[in-house]
Parts: sequence; structure tokens; C-alpha cells
Amino acid sequence: MAAGSEVYVLGGYQTDFARNWTKENKHFSALMRESVVGALEACEIAPEEVESAHVGNFAAELYCMQGHLGAFFTEVDPAFSGLPTGRHEAACASGSIALLAASAEIEAGRYDLQAVVGIEQMKTVDSGKGGTYLGTAAWFEEEAEGIDAPFPKLFGRLGDEYDKRYGLKDEHLAEISKINYANAKLNPNAQTRTWYMNKDHALVRTDDNAAIGGRIRISDCSQVTDGAVTLFLASREYAEKWAKGTGKKLSEIPRIKGWGHNTARLKFDDKVAESANDQYVLPHVRSTVTSAMKRAGIEGVDGVDGIETHDCFTTSEYMAIDHFGITAPGESWKAVEEGWLEIDGKHPINPSGGLIGAGHPVGATGCRQVLDSYLQVTGQAGAYQVEGAKNFQTLNIGGSGTTSVSFVVGVD
Amino acid sequence: MSTLSPKEMRQLVASRKIERVVVLGANGTMGYGSAALFTQAVPEVTFLARTKEKAEDGLAAAIKQVRSPTVANRAKTGSYDDDLAAACAGADLIFEALTEDFDLKKDIFDKVEASRRDDSIVATVTSGLSINKLCEGRSDSFRKNFLGLHFFNPPNVIVGTELIAGDETDPELVDFIDAYSTVLLGREMVRTADTPAFAGNRVGFKVMNEVCQLAEEIGVALTDKLVGPYTGRAMTPLATVDLVGWDIHRAIVDNVYANTTEAHDEARETNKLPAYMATLMEKGVLGNKSGGGFFKKDGKTRLILDPASGDYTPADEIKLPELGYIDEVAALHRDGRYKEGMAVFASASGEHAKIARKVIAGYVAYAFQRVGEVTESIDGIDRIMGMGFNVAPPSVLVDALGAQATVDMIAEAGLEVPAALAEAAKTGEPKRFFNHTRINVGKFFVAE
Repeated sequence: MAAGSEVYVLGGYQTDFARNWTKENKHFSALMRESVVGALEACEIAPEEVESAHVGNFAAELYCMQGHLGAFFTEVDPAFSGLPTGRHEAACASGSIALLAASAEIEAGRYDLQAVVGIEQMKTVDSGKGGTYLGTAAWFEEEAEGIDAPFPKLFGRLGDEYDKRYGLKDEHLAEISKINYANAKLNPNAQTRTWYMNKDHALVRTDDNAAIGGRIRISDCSQVTDGAVTLFLASREYAEKWAKGTGKKLSEIPRIKGWGHNTARLKFDDKVAESANDQYVLPHVRSTVTSAMKRAGIEGVDGVDGIETHDCFTTSEYMAIDHFGITAPGESWKAVEEGWLEIDGKHPINPSGGLIGAGHPVGATGCRQVLDSYLQVTGQAGAYQVEGAKNFQTLNIGGSGTTSVSFVVGVD
Repeated sequence: MSTLSPKEMRQLVASRKIERVVVLGANGTMGYGSAALFTQAVPEVTFLARTKEKAEDGLAAAIKQVRSPTVANRAKTGSYDDDLAAACAGADLIFEALTEDFDLKKDIFDKVEASRRDDSIVATVTSGLSINKLCEGRSDSFRKNFLGLHFFNPPNVIVGTELIAGDETDPELVDFIDAYSTVLLGREMVRTADTPAFAGNRVGFKVMNEVCQLAEEIGVALTDKLVGPYTGRAMTPLATVDLVGWDIHRAIVDNVYANTTEAHDEARETNKLPAYMATLMEKGVLGNKSGGGFFKKDGKTRLILDPASGDYTPADEIKLPELGYIDEVAALHRDGRYKEGMAVFASASGEHAKIARKVIAGYVAYAFQRVGEVTESIDGIDRIMGMGFNVAPPSVLVDALGAQATVDMIAEAGLEVPAALAEAAKTGEPKRFFNHTRINVGKFFVAE
């Protein structure tokens, strides 16, 4: 029985998001196995100790013709036979929802040690088909059916809404893209770490950086990515035991200090209509962020040392800047111009490269954000380490700002 | 790899401005690829070649390679005769990427020396010529500011990079270039000694040339199958030689052969270029760049070279022996069961499995024997093989096979067992040789 309601993050493992598992001729099961085995080894945990497991995934049925994903744990190790498992889906927020479910079970005292896997294999199909599959994260019949690249268009409209309310310049979006790509070069598991990018390129207006959804160009987009991330969450009781066994101090083990979770109207137009008189374009996202801060006992964004946010497009990061409270609503451009978002800046955002730079295997992203936050607050982020980080916050969004989840991961 | 913290590296990078880079030999593959890489981080990169037209060809190739017209926004072009002096006089970094000809490089350095500022950095992308010899007889400031910065081809895709200091290179400059390349160019830096072909090509081309020798004995198709992806490589070795180019391959192995002795390189003979390759090269066979090497295409038909005759046979007419163990290994890799796969490899019966094990054993043993010579530890060799050659680092193979099985494999091949592996087999320590927990080792074990 869990001794308290605290949820500890013991660590985890990320697959290299630059990999193409179809080209490696590998099955979905290999992606899951590498991630889980990697995490077991990284955390020095024996499979027999794991009490329950959750999988976050968006659309394996479409991309891989595969469902019943929790059951794949039994293929990873014989010790997992009989393990309680399940799968969670909330579009691009699937990984975070799996983490919420696992942490709730720890808080409820059901289990002391849980594995959470976020996973998506997307390079099984061409980009056209993949774009259609992603459209199921919107209201498909009304917002995606028969539309090429529906999500770039939806997030292009987010930029349009900012432009309408506050004004928006392409150069600010290009700067966001530039920072994410530059940070990705420091991340050994980032998908775009070898891609050519600078601000000049992000501002190119030719076919080399084609528009694919209104103001959204290739350089504004996150990637089609294969990847998996496994994390281990534990109760205080298990964390104490594990700390002794691995020679760590309990105080050095990060906790999920706070969380926020909200769901807004599914259709983008409905969300915008609802927020017409609100200073925030996506108030449910704002509420998710502030809920997590409040639960963590943090008064505002100055209380976190960095952010891993959902930049599925540059417009979503632009939105996140003011929704986190880094600037007043509509003034995200100030943070961009002042250099606050860079790794050594006042409010580093996506030192990992984020979704644009690190990659976006849809169901894995929420878990990747928490793993990167864990790496930051334990000083293990390598070349993209934010010096002295103690608290990191995530924001993971499913759909066009529909399901939002935020975590504050930190050490005391 | 620098020992500085990430923040210290970023501060070091900020401490010195690199605003103008000159690339010499900018029409060659390494030249234009490297020049494109620099334009990501530098406001002005001058592409220089024998003629301005050739430099412009290099710029066009760079734009095509990285798919960005913005390379041109930061690029200038020119010829050695008309523009080198002025370009080098204003350059913060002069990057030499001429063909692997010692005398050619010496000649261009004469021109560089005559025009460069005392504080400018001079780097060579040589894939294995001696850094100390290349700057022999130069001024103090040249030798102090000269180093090897060995990118792999294509530089915009392959991040593994060797950094080679000469005896008189300023250590602070080495730290700076390490940090600069890591932070701004996204490189995985490996510091190597100034030894023939440095670390990556020394170990990597030894294996490829041994496979070229093997192809003469058992045929091209069988050789490439036996040392195929299941042994820990994305591309088969003979296809890699075709991609690299037979002339480049010869330049590297000849350099190693000429500059090593049996006394300090136990596998020197594996670097001897097979006679059939030299003969075919005289007839213009250079690999992909000449339209074919070990392999070529006739429409959709893949043709395979007969080393003895120089003739080509359609791939589907070549009968290979039963190699069921390879299918078994590949099936295990497909499910991510890499250790189980390598266990099947280690225990497979038959002469062909034994041949394949000999090559892999030779690779691992040779790499471990080079520790202390080409790099301080096995880690440098591991990282350049993984991130430069895109093949399983020797330590990854040892970890997958287990130390005892590796030792057995090396002994079966009749090779001397490196002390570190013998010790690990005896004591069980270290439990793991490859300790980069954030690098996926599974990516090296391709399933087909």
C-alpha cells in the first residue's frame, strides 16, 4: 500500500526519434520492447517489481493495424505475464493521460510501482494518409474529411486568431522554429538534429519551405515521428526503498508536484467562439497550466526553471508563451524578441527541441516531455541542460487545443 | 568529447567570434557539404575552388544537398588565383577540403600561410593524412592554430566528427572547436590521435577492406550477405565501398598500409588493397560514381561483380548456400530481441557462420587493440563507429554477445584476445562496455 499520495518519477528511456522503424524492418513490438527494457536498465528495476502498466497511444489501429497494446507488455519479459495493463487515448495528449491514470492509481494506494509507455509508430504510411489519420484527432467529418493536412490548417487558424486579436508577425514564428531546431542539435535523440535550419530558412517563402496550412509552413511544423518513451512512477514507499538500493537520496528523486487536465470543445471554431471575450485565446489551456502550478504550490511561471511545451506548430508554442504567463496575453512576441526562451534565457522553452525539433510521435509526446523534465531537474539533460533546474513544467495538447494536460516535475 | 559543462561550452562558444569561414575545395563532396553546414551558424562562408565556376557548382550542390536556397544568402564564391588571398585575410576559420593528396594540400597551405591573419584557425578535413606533417615547416601561428576537423560524408547527415590536434596545436583552440562544433553545428565530437586514418577510418576501412579481400574468395553476393545488416550495420560493407568510391577507399587503406608496420598493427595485411580492385580501377571502376563497382544496375536488374573476371551477373542468377541462421537472427531483431539474435549468430554452425564471425571478431579485436593508440579509451572508437560509420560500435557488440562469447569468437578466429575483453570474461567486470544510456543500441541491429 502506498504510504502517501506523492508520485515519484524514477526515470525512463526514450527511443531515438530520428529512427524509422519501418526502414529498420521492425515490428511495433520492437519499439515497445526497446523502450521498456531501456527504462528497466536505466532505472535498475527488475521486471518482477512492476505492479501495473499503462500505454498511451493515439492510433496504432490505423498506423500499424494493431490494438490491445497493453498486452504487448507480456511480450517484453516473461515476468510481465499477468501484469495489469491498459491503454489510454486522447490524441496527442495520450501519453499524458496514461501518466495521469498511473499517478492516480499510486495516489489511490493501489500500486507502488508503475510503468507508463507513450508510443506511436507513424512512418508506416505516406504523409497524405498520415495526415488523414491525424485528422481523427479533430471532429473528423466536420473539420478533417477530404482536407489535406487538416491539423496544419487548424493551427494556422490559431495564428490567424492571434493576428486578429493582437497582431502576429511571421518572424516571431520563425524565431521559435529556429530555437527549437538549434536546441534539437544538442539532443542525441532528437529527430531533426541533422536537419538544415536557421532563421533565414524558416523565413523562406518558396517550395523549399512550402505553405501547407494557411500561414503554417514546413518549418513551422512538428514531425512525423516513430518513437516510444517509458517512465517509471512510484509511491513514496517504493521510492524510499529504491533510493536506498540505488544509492540515491529521496530528496533527489523528482516528484510530480502538480498536474492540470482540461478538455475544451472539440471543434476549433467552438473554442474560439467561447473565448471571444476572454483575454486568452484558449482559456482551457490556460486553466490547465495554472491548475498544475497551483497544485505544485507555485505562484507563477517564475517558479519553474523551464518548460517543455506542445509546439506541434510554432503557433501552439506562441500561444503557450502567454498562456504560461511569461508575457501578458497577446504579447508572446516580447519573450521571443528578448531571448527569454533560449536555454540560458529567463524562461527556457523546449530545451530538448520540443515537438518541432525533437519530434512528435503522437502518443509518446506527453511522456517524452515528462522524461525531459526529469532529466533537467536531475541534471542529466546533457548538452541541453538548463543550469540548476529544480522545477520543470509540461504542456501537452490533444487536438486543436482540446485535451490539455500539464505536469510540474521537480525536486525540493 | 569535451569535459566542460553544457553552460561552460556555451560560454566558450560565445567567447570567440567565427563570422567568416573560407572553404577550400568547395566543389568537392566534403567541401560543399561542409560549407553548407557552416552556413547554418556563420554569416559568411566563401566557397573557393580552382575556378569561380567550380566554386559556383559547389554552392549549387550545397543548396541541393541541404535543400535550402538560404545557403546562397550567406555564401560567396571565388577562385584560388583571384580570391584566396583576400578571403583568407578576412577569415576567422579556413577549412581545407581538397582531395586527399598531400602535395596538393601543402601547396594550398603555402597560399593560405601567405595571406591568413595570425589568429585565424586553419582546419583540414583530411580523412587520415598526418596533421603534424601537414603543418610541418609552417609558422608558429599556423601550427598553433592548425587542427584536423574530420567530418564524415555527407556532413549534414553524419554527425560523428573527429578532432585531431597536432603536437603544437593550442589546447584552448581544441577546446573551443570542440564546443563550437558541438553547440552550433550539432556534431558528436571524438578526439583522436594523429595516427594513420585516425580512429574511424582506421577501424572502419580495415573491416571494409577485409571484406573486399573476402569477396575474391567467396564472391561478392555471399560476402555481403554474411556481413550484412544483421551483424550490426545499416548498409552492407561492399555497398558501402561502392558508395564511398573505390579511389577514396584505396587512398585510405594505402595510407594505413604505408604508415604502419606488422610490429604495431597486427592486422596490417587486412589493409592491403586486393589486386583485382587495382586492376578494375585502371579500367575506370570506381563504385557508384563511375556507374558501378561491386554492384550496378541495368534498368531494374541488380548486377553483381565477379572479382576474377570483372564481369557482372544478374543478382537473381547467383545461388547462395543455405543461410537459415541469418533469417533467424533477423527475425529476432525484428522483434527487438537483439541479444537473442546475437546469441544465435555466436552459436550458428557451418563454415559460413564461421567466416562471418571471423570478420566481426576481427573488427572487435582490432578496435580494442587500438585503444591507447588512436583514442584514449574504447569510448572514442565506439562513438565514431556508431555516429560516423553508422555501424554497431565494438562495445555494443561485446555487450550484446557477452564478454565470454566475444572472447570465444575472437579465439575461434585465431586472433589475439585484447586484454580488456579477456579480463571482462574472467571477472564479469565491467558488466557493460557501452555506457551511453541515451544512445539506442537497437538502431544498429537492422532486421534485414
